[in-house]
Amino acid sequence: MIVRVRFHGRGGQGAKTASRILGTAAFNAGHFIQDFPVYGAERRGAPVASFTRFSDEEITERGFIFSPDVVAVMDDSLIVDPLANPLAGLRKGGCAVINTTKGADAVGGARKDVVVVPVALTEQALKFLGKPVLSAGIAAAVARVSGIKEESLLAGVDEELREVGLSEDMVKRNLEFAKSIYGELAPLKLKTEELPGKEELVPLALVVSGEGTEDVTRTGNSTVRHTGNWRTFRPAIDYEKCTDCMICYAYCPESAMSVGSDGRVKIDYDNCKGCMICLTECPLRAISQTREGGLQ
Amino acid sequence: MNGKLLTGNAAAASAARLARVDYVPAYPITPQTEIIETIADWVRERKMDTKFVQLESEHSMMTAAGAASLAGARVFTATSSQGLLYALEMLYNVSGWRAPMVLVNVSRALAAPIVLEPDHNDVLAARDSGFLQLHAETCQEVADLVLMAYRVAEDRRVMLPAIVNLDGFYLSFTRERVLLPEQEAVDRFLPQYRPLHPLRASRPVAKGAAVMEGYVYTYFRYNMHAAALRARKVFSEASRDYERLFGRSYGPVEGYMLDDAEYVLVMSNSFTTIGRQAVKRMRERGVAAGLLKLRMVRPFPSEEVAALLRGRKAVAVFDQNLSPGSGGIFYPEIAASLYNAKGRPAAILPVVGGLGGKQLTPKEMTTIFEEMQAIAKEGKTPSPMYLMRNDELARVKRAVALAQGES
Repeated sequence: MIVRVRFHGRGGQGAKTASRILGTAAFNAGHFIQDFPVYGAERRGAPVASFTRFSDEEITERGFIFSPDVVAVMDDSLIVDPLANPLAGLRKGGCAVINTTKGADAVGGARKDVVVVPVALTEQALKFLGKPVLSAGIAAAVARVSGIKEESLLAGVDEELREVGLSEDMVKRNLEFAKSIYGELAPLKLKTEELPGKEELVPLALVVSGEGTEDVTRTGNSTVRHTGNWRTFRPAIDYEKCTDCMICYAYCPESAMSVGSDGRVKIDYDNCKGCMICLTECPLRAISQTREGGLQ
Repeated sequence: MNGKLLTGNAAAASAARLARVDYVPAYPITPQTEIIETIADWVRERKMDTKFVQLESEHSMMTAAGAASLAGARVFTATSSQGLLYALEMLYNVSGWRAPMVLVNVSRALAAPIVLEPDHNDVLAARDSGFLQLHAETCQEVADLVLMAYRVAEDRRVMLPAIVNLDGFYLSFTRERVLLPEQEAVDRFLPQYRPLHPLRASRPVAKGAAVMEGYVYTYFRYNMHAAALRARKVFSEASRDYERLFGRSYGPVEGYMLDDAEYVLVMSNSFTTIGRQAVKRMRERGVAAGLLKLRMVRPFPSEEVAALLRGRKAVAVFDQNLSPGSGGIFYPEIAASLYNAKGRPAAILPVVGGLGGKQLTPKEMTTIFEEMQAIAKEGKTPSPMYLMRNDELARVKRAVALAQGES
């Protein structure tokens, strides 16, 4: 049986490492495996994806997984992100492991034909590691629901986290994190095989657009793409303390600070990426951070 | 006799002048340099109203050429051999930008080892770049094909750059009679170039943007392919106009003594002339010989090739190029054009010769035609012919011995 897992995270959360931990865990358990990330215009906070396939037979598939058996969503705000679209293609009867503090109904949305497994990873990561890095936890959750043994998982966590250069102490804390998540969940029965039907192809004549080629003629189109959903943490200005010194305005690398008609600095949450440079630079500590809640 | 004596290089430069090109980014390389030197002289003498710039490499030259075309300039440039390869990365970009222009390539074999005389590995390295390719046999064709290339490349149905190829030495430095068209008639043949979404400071436009997804990329590549295929029809239309205005007609292929020919040799570029002579000689011996010249290489004229080669007893493809580990480059293209044709020839003989400008003799041509006849008669599978004469090999051996210290 083959299991195809697609991880959806934000740059910096550990999606690539998670796919490798699961890959190594399944490999340790005697499976054939493939794991790989998407490479392209990734950056911290932006939606990223990675993949793991494991199977008890030789794997005869390649490339991105468009029809996963399991999706691992490392940030529930991704569910409503049209670019990430993490539940897309998830097979009927498949499983969505979602990092959330909400219930399955709240995050599963329209998909009633899949099993939604909510798990509060970020809170546990903050507890065990002191920072929201989720690779060991999400790999543990997927390993558990897809039937990988605990010792194989832990060997995978150990090997992969040493590989990326984590300290002895951090590796140990990640092992505790993984054990805790693994213990919370139970294995699921996944049905993953189906025969492909026939594809309807477009004739070349209908692909052809006519004269010359299309160019980008719309100017200023970067405003079309909001980057506010990259945030893990959300800055907020305490206007009681703020003296309008404008240092945050000057330092913001995204021009996401503006001055309103009342003369006060405002944060453009549609485009603030949550880099927290404003928080670091504010001399009066008038800017605080809270974790983004994802689905509102 | 009317006309002028011009080298192939002078014919190319003259055609650029007649096309009233706006911009010539240049970089010298033998055997092409004479083209840009000629244009530089004309610009200095105010005989040509063109912006001429020498860039620091062929790569920059091609980048400048593509960008100028996108801004709406009619662009001409020329290169050879290693220079074309150095520019190759940008060739794919310029065609992807759908920036029409004409690049004259003066064929010279590729290093290593170094030689200055021609074969077609240089221009065929750009075979898949999206540039249209027209290959010339004579200095007359060089001039005519440069003008035709602008007309086809700039057509809104095409909007792709074009290469006109001529052989170094055999055409580039060889003078023969060339009839240059009148400027006024050329102006009628070549309407003003109308760029699509031209680059303007007042109206920003992004060309060749990152698309990041295979299916979007595929859409643009398929459209480029379709435009290149449409160039066949546009070339035929241009050819009719050209004949009407100048009296010379150019199809994508050209047959020579083909009507009743049983044994047909496929050739391209300047050595085709040697092939014509061989066909005549074979006819004198009573052999129904004929020749098919490839003039248009991209788009590949597979329909014309199939129509003109079906029903023949045998065909030989003369490749003046070599893809190491495969053989000649045109051979599989000709074979593919014929494979699904009804009444395809029983045998297609691959011949490789003329590498680095190596001499092609009448006797070798006789050998090729006799091999075709033998194959057709005996029904045997043709094995590729790699032309090398005994006296040539003996000279190589002597040179190698000398190079290794024997006296």
